[in-house]
Amino acid sequence: MLEALLFAMFAGTAIGCALGVVFHRNPVHCALLLVGVLLNLAGIFILLHAQFVAALQVIVYAGAIMVLFLFVVMLLNVKGETPLLTPGAAKFFGFLFALIVFVEMLWTVLQPGGDAGAPAAQAPLPAEFGSPAALGRVLYTVWLYPFEITSILLLVAVVGAVVLAKRKFI
Amino acid sequence: MLGAPAVPLLWYQMLAAILFTIGVVGVLVRRSALVIFMSIELMLNAVNLSFVAFSRQYGSMDGHVFVFFVMAVAAAEVAIGLAIIVAIFRNRETASVDDVHLLKG
Amino acid sequence: MDIAYAIEILAKILVVFGFVLVAVIFVVWMERKVLGHMQDRIGPKRVGPYGLLQTIADGMKLFMKEDILPSQADKVLYFIAPGISIVTALAAAAVIPFGDSVTLFGRAVPLHVADVNIAILFLLGATSMGVYGVVLGGWASNSKYPLLGGLRSSAQMISYELAQGISLVPVILMTGSLSLATIARAQEHLWFVVPQFFAFVIYVICAVAETNRAPFDLAEAETELVAGFHTEFSSMKFALYFLSEYANMMVVAAVAITVFLGAWHGPVLPGPVWFLIKLVLFLFFYIWLRATFPRLRYDQLMAFGWKVLLPASLVNLAVTAVVVVLKG
Repeated sequence: MLEALLFAMFAGTAIGCALGVVFHRNPVHCALLLVGVLLNLAGIFILLHAQFVAALQVIVYAGAIMVLFLFVVMLLNVKGETPLLTPGAAKFFGFLFALIVFVEMLWTVLQPGGDAGAPAAQAPLPAEFGSPAALGRVLYTVWLYPFEITSILLLVAVVGAVVLAKRKFI
Repeated sequence: MLGAPAVPLLWYQMLAAILFTIGVVGVLVRRSALVIFMSIELMLNAVNLSFVAFSRQYGSMDGHVFVFFVMAVAAAEVAIGLAIIVAIFRNRETASVDDVHLLKG
Repeated sequence: MDIAYAIEILAKILVVFGFVLVAVIFVVWMERKVLGHMQDRIGPKRVGPYGLLQTIADGMKLFMKEDILPSQADKVLYFIAPGISIVTALAAAAVIPFGDSVTLFGRAVPLHVADVNIAILFLLGATSMGVYGVVLGGWASNSKYPLLGGLRSSAQMISYELAQGISLVPVILMTGSLSLATIARAQEHLWFVVPQFFAFVIYVICAVAETNRAPFDLAEAETELVAGFHTEFSSMKFALYFLSEYANMMVVAAVAITVFLGAWHGPVLPGPVWFLIKLVLFLFFYIWLRATFPRLRYDQLMAFGWKVLLPASLVNLAVTAVVVVLKG
């Protein structure tokens, strides 16, 4: 009961904040509302027994990535654009495609016999499910190579960002 | 030992679908490159939620690993993407995607 | 969830938060008094015995002042920003154990609000959220010095957060736990400051930078930025920033004590008393630093963080990892 209540609270706030991200005029407010979405999702991750992922979400996503965003928005001092949305037919088709995507996803999710609807494996989980130790064990055995490749990706990103920032013109 | 989840997986998937759709709307209809970027983050997060929920359902940690990778990729993407936006802004004094159309002829 | 448990938790929340808020009064007094004596002055002495009530008088003054809202400020964020600062500082205090469990009314009561099994990650999360209070306060005032101060201090906090986090990892490797209570218990015979002296030094430097205190108080370099990010804040909002700065100081000091300085362990006296003694000594050290060192220049600060502290903490981590593996 408590879990359902918390889920409703987090989900409601997340959806509200997400709508704000897309439709608010001021980019700084958009970034902060996105932080709100991220924090609410971290709460939902905790409901799903993913404590470590929730901690990562707060430290890495909300604490580092979004601060970078906020920095750029503040430094560029971008005012809310007028008009807010793309003018003309692009706007109409944008909403239309989004609606189609949503209907498709709902159809997949609600499909009888699909993964989402199935009363899947309800075997009790081990107590350490979602702990840093459990994640580390999987990450450094099964997923070792992808993990190493990720570090190279991050290195490339760092070098790329420095190169882009150093040059006067692109 | 953790028991069965009180909230069915379906709800989590619905939430993920709604957040993803809001992200899609943002990418398609907003003009500011920064907000489009934020909408992409929103979509990535919707997918993360889906991963974590499935992970819980099937009792496997692999979903968490994927979320980890998504976060790493998002960090790299934001670093590069924001650098590009800053570079464009320096040259053209705009952060609106509709004004960057040099290749349009 | 029975009633006794709920009462226990509520009581602990009240005690911890109440302690932090009341202690701030005395830490401010201590700072002014110690600083005064170090600079060959007497410090506050008019209000109350030894000037002990000076902070309360100052608090009353702040409370009575007019609440000014800059005309071009972003109203919502201007109101929220000080709140974010104080909430993150108090949230971090929730996971710090200040004593071993005691038996009260026939119940074993562990002396911390919440024993989260990822307490250290929770702390890092709370500090990284604290950046928002500073950067938003600077931006929402819509004035150039606060903006510069806010950007500076948030860049500084993000940079030093890295080295700070990595300096805690060797201890995690040695205990194999992210829970602060477990780490504290592991130090019954040997404080971690002995095997991890370098990590301790790095942590202390980062902690000073993280709380924006001298010699790293670039955010409020009064000679160049008026007062940094809180220039435009007055009355209670300023008081909240002030409060959160000192609450943050106490939190990082408490973490240093829990992780490196043997937590509540000590001879004869009960645990919480030892914890308090160590806290006071650590805060004295903080004030001593402020009285001794001149402020760093901004580029020196960033270079020091990225080129010295971060590599040093990484090397320390690698060495510790090798030793831990070799010892099995």
